[in-house]
Amino acid sequence: MAGIYVHVPFCKQKCTYCDFASFPKELGKTESYFACLYRELEGRGRALKDKVFDTIYIGGGTPSVVPAKFIAGVIRQIKKFFNLAENSEITIELNPGTVDEEKIKTYKSVGINRFSIGLQTGYDEQLKKLNRIHTAKDFLLACNLLKGENFSADILMGLANQTAEQVKKSIELAIAGGVSHISLYALTPEVGTPIYTDYLNGELLSDDEVADIYDSARKYLEEKGFFRYEVSNFAKKGFESKHNLNYWRRGEYIGVGVSASSFIDNRRFTNTFSIDEYMNAIIYNKNPEIDSAVIELEDACFEFIMLGLRTVDGINIKEFNQKFNKDFDSEYKSILLENGKYLDRDGFNLKIKDEYLYVQNTIITSFMK
Amino acid sequence: MAVDKKNIRNFCIVAHIDHGKSTLADRLMEKTGQVSERDMEEQLLDSMDLERERGITIKLTPVRMFYTAKDGEEYIFNLIDTPGHVDFTYEVSRSLKACEGAILIVDATQGVQAQTLANAYLAIDNDLEIMPVINKMDLASARPDDAARELEDILGVDASDAPRISAKNGLNIEEVLEQVVHKIPAPKGDDNAPLKALIFDSYYDNFKGVICFVRIIDGVVKQGTKITTFMSKKQFDVTEVGVFSPKMTPKDSLVAGEVGYIAASIKSIEDTAVGDTITDALNPAKEPLPGYKKALPMVFSGVFPLDGSKFNDLKDALLKLKLNDAALSIEPDNSTALGFGFRCGFLGLLHMDVIQERIEREFDLEIITTAPSVSYKVYKTDGTVLTVENPSKLPAVTEIDYMEEPIIKASIFTPPDYVGPIMELCQYKRGVYTDMVYLDKTRVELKYILPLNEIVYDFFDSLKSRTKGYASFDYEPCGYQKSELVKLDMLLNGDVCDALSVIVHKDKAYERGRQIAEKLKEVIPRQMFEIPIQAAVGGKIIARETVKAFRKDVLAKCYGGDVTRKKKLLEKQKEGKKKMRRIGTVEIPSEAFISILKTDNDK
Repeated sequence: MAGIYVHVPFCKQKCTYCDFASFPKELGKTESYFACLYRELEGRGRALKDKVFDTIYIGGGTPSVVPAKFIAGVIRQIKKFFNLAENSEITIELNPGTVDEEKIKTYKSVGINRFSIGLQTGYDEQLKKLNRIHTAKDFLLACNLLKGENFSADILMGLANQTAEQVKKSIELAIAGGVSHISLYALTPEVGTPIYTDYLNGELLSDDEVADIYDSARKYLEEKGFFRYEVSNFAKKGFESKHNLNYWRRGEYIGVGVSASSFIDNRRFTNTFSIDEYMNAIIYNKNPEIDSAVIELEDACFEFIMLGLRTVDGINIKEFNQKFNKDFDSEYKSILLENGKYLDRDGFNLKIKDEYLYVQNTIITSFMK
Repeated sequence: MAVDKKNIRNFCIVAHIDHGKSTLADRLMEKTGQVSERDMEEQLLDSMDLERERGITIKLTPVRMFYTAKDGEEYIFNLIDTPGHVDFTYEVSRSLKACEGAILIVDATQGVQAQTLANAYLAIDNDLEIMPVINKMDLASARPDDAARELEDILGVDASDAPRISAKNGLNIEEVLEQVVHKIPAPKGDDNAPLKALIFDSYYDNFKGVICFVRIIDGVVKQGTKITTFMSKKQFDVTEVGVFSPKMTPKDSLVAGEVGYIAASIKSIEDTAVGDTITDALNPAKEPLPGYKKALPMVFSGVFPLDGSKFNDLKDALLKLKLNDAALSIEPDNSTALGFGFRCGFLGLLHMDVIQERIEREFDLEIITTAPSVSYKVYKTDGTVLTVENPSKLPAVTEIDYMEEPIIKASIFTPPDYVGPIMELCQYKRGVYTDMVYLDKTRVELKYILPLNEIVYDFFDSLKSRTKGYASFDYEPCGYQKSELVKLDMLLNGDVCDALSVIVHKDKAYERGRQIAEKLKEVIPRQMFEIPIQAAVGGKIIARETVKAFRKDVLAKCYGGDVTRKKKLLEKQKEGKKKMRRIGTVEIPSEAFISILKTDNDK
């Protein structure tokens, strides 16, 4: 089974930490952009008609900033040109400041069955500082519109002066809103974003402080019945994101739209990050990809490990051996020995011990040849 | 073309660092039409990039110039540039032997400095005619009368008619050229006597073999001459002789009094040791020229490839550098921490720095160097004596009766204001005061006996910072003294890291141990586990620091599908790791080994 990612590169205003392809000033291009998106979906769908897809993820930017009819159009195109499984997981990202009853109604009517709300924090002054367009109250209003639905909230750690208690309260707010899933991310100051200046001036929390917050938040989430299934993702049993799990299991996916990445037939490729370039390419029947590489065996092995070890379940060694026609244990003998104390081995299952999941980079990097 | 000896002048220029030696050399070449101003790259003689960047001369480069003097005669000037730094005293002395005179430059704003004195004495010892020149007259702060008086008072050189010049602006350069003609004697020597040629430098050329830079003392050498040297006794057929103008220019022959080069398909620089004498194999001179001395390394340091698999590349690089550098000593070394590498001997700290930088630049190799050490004499209880240059080779304490360390005679020139801080520093560095001379109102010369191992450990930097750069420093080795020395080991996560061990005086062990531990704590990045850093003497822990384990290194939210970017971030991390050395369980950045030197004791 494979996934479809659709990128909507628009938003009302940029958050201070955002380095995604999202352009508030380009909202005027919505109509033509979606026309191109439909066209790319048609082309990709025809080319991939032999594959079965079972997840769709509409992300951004802020997909909910554009009129719902465009989103409906996306789903319509996918259903028309892709081989979409019954009961597919279909997710859309929402910003609490851009939703209303009508939109949700439309989303639901076209089959969207999962929602991911960007909350980030339950504190209005922090939201304001991040240049978010909504308040904590807006979040609860959005939750209200989603009552009974399967939805998730994103929460950020590491904001200036943020305390563990504040993160806990933000989680509490999300749970009160009725979420079944929480993504808990550490703020990453990317070069070129406004928050990078804060980082340079030492205003953000240190890694140690973030680690403390993460530990206490994780404990709290588990008390509330949200289990960690990937380093940044927590869900009630049965509510894990299938779309994301597909990434971590190194499944195939097609990304459509500006900056979207794909992994199909052992080839990874990414579309251009510029809206104009993208539209030009689509209109003139040119390739919108800027990056394309066939993954060599050694890289593929590493990807499998890198992605799999992010999850709490880790990797299945039998699957590795069959997929790559290798013997995992002899291939990584010295690395396994060296990292023994950080890993849990149970039959064919290999995972990073719970307490080391947050320092996984060093462990994962050692598997790199 | 027959050369009339009475029209040859062989001379060098000596000076304290930065007093304008290379600039004057450039001006002389320009004035004699050797190079046009336009073609001239600043400071022609310093041909290595490194030399030009640092404004120092390392390799000697002779150059031949033609000058038509006011008396109407044309003279041949052979200028032999000399290194200005204390490390290269031996190189200076070799080139001095090829000359009859020396231009002694003094900066009109600074007067006589430590190296002015050291180099002038060297020249006097070699019976050279000293020709003083006062430079930097273009500067407003120039005080040429004081400089002239200092030359007379301190050195006993008549400076009454010393040209007052600005090498930078070309002021009074003519006068310098005229004085070279009149003050510096023409070479003597007998063209008909058996060949005697002094090798004062050499380098290896891929096509011609070793090129010997020579001063012909007696006799004639030409293409086809069968030559031999007194040290190697091997014979070679001369393939080419010539002069430097300033590029190598072949000539039919070189005769007594001339300076030039000889190529004879010589494969190894060891066969033409600097200071050795070349003679005619078929008609040999009875005895060599006096004064040959093998350059002895004073400072030793381990040099290891950052990437262990580059051992052979490092070996090739060192051998190539050694081809041109008789003073560099190389010995295979093996460290538990750093693997296979070399123990190298250098003339001094600058020499060490230069060699290390050349390995990295010219051979594109990344290396790890250990803290410099000196050569200790270890008197063992069984009556034998051991020379130890590598702290990890020190025998067990129980086998040592006592130890001796090399000492130096230091001469420090300073404005009187800094006498206090310098005395404090020298005392701290275990120095023994021997003398203090007030040269004039503005200058004091302090004399100390100091252990060399204190000099190789941040003495220059401390001196500079305590005197705002005003003090100058020179030294010469003066034997060994008995001393209570101990080996200070550093333990990382419980394992001794042999490459970090140093030999220190007993009384300094605690302080150094603490400083090194603190420094290591700064440079060792946090890892998956806590790392204790301990300093130990004879198994007893004397200082401890801890590098805490890190708690978060996970990649945050890249958009889930962007696997390529995630991979790149991890690759970057892996690259960073490759720059680290693994000691037992601990990853150490390569600069850690040298950073322990840079502890600041001026706090």
